[in-house]
Amino acid sequence: MTETPTQYPDSEPSDGIRIGVYVCHCGLNIAGSVDCEEVAKFAAALPHVVIAKDNRYTCSDQGQELIKQDIKEHKLNRLVVASCSPRLHEPTFRRTCEEAGLNKYLFEMANIREHCSWVHLHEKGKATEKAKDLVRMAVAKATLLEPQEENVVPILRKTLVIGGGVAGIQAALDLADTGYKVYLVEKEPSIGGRMAQIDKTFPTMDCSICILAPKMSDTGRHPNIELLTNSEVEDVKGYIGNFKVQVLKKPRFVADECTACGDCSKECPVTTPNEFDIGLATRRAIYTPFAQAVPSTYIIDRDLCLNKENVITCDKCLKACEREAIDFEMKPETVELEVGTIVVATGADVYDPASLVEYGYKKFPNVITSLEFERLINAGGPSGGHLLRPSDMKIPKSVAFIQCVGSRSEKDGHLYCSNVCCMNTIKDSLLIKEHWPETRIYVFYVDIRAYGKGFEDLFKRAKKDGVLFIRGLPAEIIEDRKTNNLWLIGENTLQKELYKINPEMVILSIGIEPRQDSDVIQRLLTLSRTSDGFFMEAHPKLRPVDTPTGGVFLAGCAESPKDIKDSVTQASAASARAGILMAQGKVTVEAITPRLLAEKCQVCGLCARVCPYNAIAVDKETKRVDLIEAACAGCGTCGAECPFEALTMRHFTDEQILAQIEAATEQDADKKIVAFCCNWCSYAGADFAGVSRMQYPTNVRIIRTMCSGRVAPKFIEHTFARGVGAILVSGCHLGDCHYLNANYQTQKRIEKLWKKMERLGLDKNRLQLAWFTAAEGEKFASKIKEMQSIVDSVTLDEIEKSKVIVKRTAR
Amino acid sequence: MPLRLWRKPLDSEKIKIPEGEVHVLKDRCKGCGFCIEFCPKEVLEQSEEFNIKGVHPPQVKEETVCILCSFCEAVCPDFAIFSVKKDCKGGC
Ligand SMILES: Cc1cc2nc3c(=O)[nH]c(=O)nc-3n(C[C@H](O)[C@H](O)[C@H](O)COP(=O)(O)OP(=O)(O)OC[C@H]3O[C@@H](n4cnc5c(N)ncnc54)[C@H](O)[C@@H]3O)c2cc1C
Ligand code: SF4
Ligand code: SF4
Repeated sequence: MTETPTQYPDSEPSDGIRIGVYVCHCGLNIAGSVDCEEVAKFAAALPHVVIAKDNRYTCSDQGQELIKQDIKEHKLNRLVVASCSPRLHEPTFRRTCEEAGLNKYLFEMANIREHCSWVHLHEKGKATEKAKDLVRMAVAKATLLEPQEENVVPILRKTLVIGGGVAGIQAALDLADTGYKVYLVEKEPSIGGRMAQIDKTFPTMDCSICILAPKMSDTGRHPNIELLTNSEVEDVKGYIGNFKVQVLKKPRFVADECTACGDCSKECPVTTPNEFDIGLATRRAIYTPFAQAVPSTYIIDRDLCLNKENVITCDKCLKACEREAIDFEMKPETVELEVGTIVVATGADVYDPASLVEYGYKKFPNVITSLEFERLINAGGPSGGHLLRPSDMKIPKSVAFIQCVGSRSEKDGHLYCSNVCCMNTIKDSLLIKEHWPETRIYVFYVDIRAYGKGFEDLFKRAKKDGVLFIRGLPAEIIEDRKTNNLWLIGENTLQKELYKINPEMVILSIGIEPRQDSDVIQRLLTLSRTSDGFFMEAHPKLRPVDTPTGGVFLAGCAESPKDIKDSVTQASAASARAGILMAQGKVTVEAITPRLLAEKCQVCGLCARVCPYNAIAVDKETKRVDLIEAACAGCGTCGAECPFEALTMRHFTDEQILAQIEAATEQDADKKIVAFCCNWCSYAGADFAGVSRMQYPTNVRIIRTMCSGRVAPKFIEHTFARGVGAILVSGCHLGDCHYLNANYQTQKRIEKLWKKMERLGLDKNRLQLAWFTAAEGEKFASKIKEMQSIVDSVTLDEIEKSKVIVKRTAR
Repeated sequence: MPLRLWRKPLDSEKIKIPEGEVHVLKDRCKGCGFCIEFCPKEVLEQSEEFNIKGVHPPQVKEETVCILCSFCEAVCPDFAIFSVKKDCKGGC
């Protein structure tokens, strides 16, 4: 450990603020391109700094011990560590503080590794100057830090699972077995989801319903599970640990007395195509969706039933039912639930290939989908397990599968791979071979993705059994009018030759897509969706079943297309995550939520309008504004919006940020770029640039906020008033905001500022807005390079002009 | 777009739906129109002709859709209408 002679400022700080600064070498990671000793010396001379040291590894046990000793010995009441990214070690040093009896909110970090030494490897002088600035900024903020108490929120030990497919079933069973009360809400009359429709499952070729049905009945019978089928979530209020949920239970018109004998259904005189069999079989108005349905209670489809509203014209089922279970008077019911956690397992839809006109689905009867195939090959299905051609009810002697229908396409359908269709087709081809070994089977594919456990074996088996795999999708399907056979024309891209094949039946391997009504659940639970439309996880690697909303978890195809095994795995993961919260029974919320200064508040309601979480309740009549702390995620958008400075964002106060701005612009402001970066994407993107050692100009000074929505226009104006060269405001991409949609407020504010700058005759180029993901380090580095030329071209006149004008016009 | 149902069910020929035959005793009808109003399958309509009471009795508009709920029989205050199972000579 190299220790510089500790320097004390001449006099004891009068306001009692005593800061210790520790500059880390991180071996040579920092010391290689920053003169740490010099930075420590510089720090020691800053106001309020009582002690400043540089050491080799601050995060090591010795490094932490030293800090703890110093805190006690020198009565430090603020701590600054200049080292790596706070995203890495802030928790470490916060713990150090706590262990030394210092409130952990009195700690601030200067990121001189990812944001300095690693991105300026060959400019030691400039990098050292930058490190000094970063320390100056951290000390400026630390001076204004205040101790905070974290709120403790109790967690109700009950869960709501939305969606009763295999994922929802698994999550419900796991949580119920652990001992928690579970409400399982399914919008269809039965649980089971897609898996109930499938015949066999790859890669093991198990009978799907045979392995699912026992789970379904366990779910129906479990003392800890309350099943609400034919029901939909209508409203969700509250926050982690304390959700108030309204569920609309639609009437079945058949009471629990029903024994599922089916006597009623036989008498019912009205019919319609059955949803479960994708319209390949008929059902009555009183029906059960499928034999293994849970609950088994029948249901009346009142849109189809002859009895409208209050007039009973048909009583055939009533008469047939010995148990007198039928009740036309049943009314919809709203059930109020209180739960601590929520698992979203709403699954996915399948793609409708009718929009691909070239494949003739819905035009040519013998072009079917892979889902229709599942029902046709199923022994309990509409054809008794015979693969019948819809045109003549004959078993085809040759079939062709077309892959990637609605998937992996720039033109039609979706860009992503639907994950299950390759293996599903291989499974289907083997099922055909099993029943009718002579059938000629062609599979037209783009790539065969047999990546999972046991998948390659299955693929090999299909090839061995004579299934022909041809690379290159047909351009078109043409029907032979006489035979209803189909002509497939395309290019075999491996052999570079054209093919023209004439199978008797074509199966379109359709993709999986987000549920059409996903926006309802998205809105109710304030979730985000990826550009694909599936629900977004909190972190793709490390928090794959969490959502940005506390207490809400994801499982199954709702999150992305996946097979049964992955759906079940994810469901167990989600229930473990929900279970952890409920076992703890309480959760602490980071103390970064706003405080209301009631005397300044004018009850204008602007804050409530921008809050993505409805965490601010404004009652204009009683002139009351209430901050619902547990619902607040701490983005700070409200604080940036309030025109009366009535909201203090704890730990990211206006004063603290303004102090950072002043520190950053104290020297050579006109040569500098001040960049506001959001914690989750753009700050992380800048970290990534560092980790990847992407080099960019040294004159950028980053100020971290939780969300770009925190960046108030006055921060920008103040930075211009300080004579800065250029400003970058950056956040997550629109639609990817960690705080749902808070960055749309950022965009609005910047656009307004641009207009204002234009009006005032200022160069609006000097204010840049950019979106980065945490993986776009390269993009961050190039943005800074690009902005360097803006700084270079700004004249001193322009800077002076803007200083004066902005000072005059700032609110 | 998720998949929509469009196919003719494979069992559509096999599914047996009761078929009824409606008989109107024209001269008993006093023209209340209940049977026309309440028939769930809209099998009936008012005829042009006058009966002996000087009202238009109902007539069958489309008999093939009658499913023999016999509600017309139940609502008619004058026992002027009844339905019976269709004679299946032609096969139904
Ligand atoms: C043709 C085809 C073949 C397949 N073959 C295989 C195979 O062989 N092997 C394999 O491992 N995987 C296979 N899969 C994938 C498998 O179907 C899925 O992995 C699995 O069904 C996902 O389960 P889930 O619970 O996430 O979703 P789903 O099964 O879709 O269930 C979601 C449930 O949520 C309900 N729901 C939706 N929205 C709401 C709401 N708002 N409120 C309440 N309830 C709601 C739905 O009604 C449904 O019951 C296949 C998929 C397809 C399309
Ligand atoms: S009352 Fe409705 S459900 Fe019952 S038999 Fe008649 S049409 Fe079917
Ligand atoms: S900080 Fe964000 S989430 Fe919290 S109240 Fe303000 S706007 Fe809402």
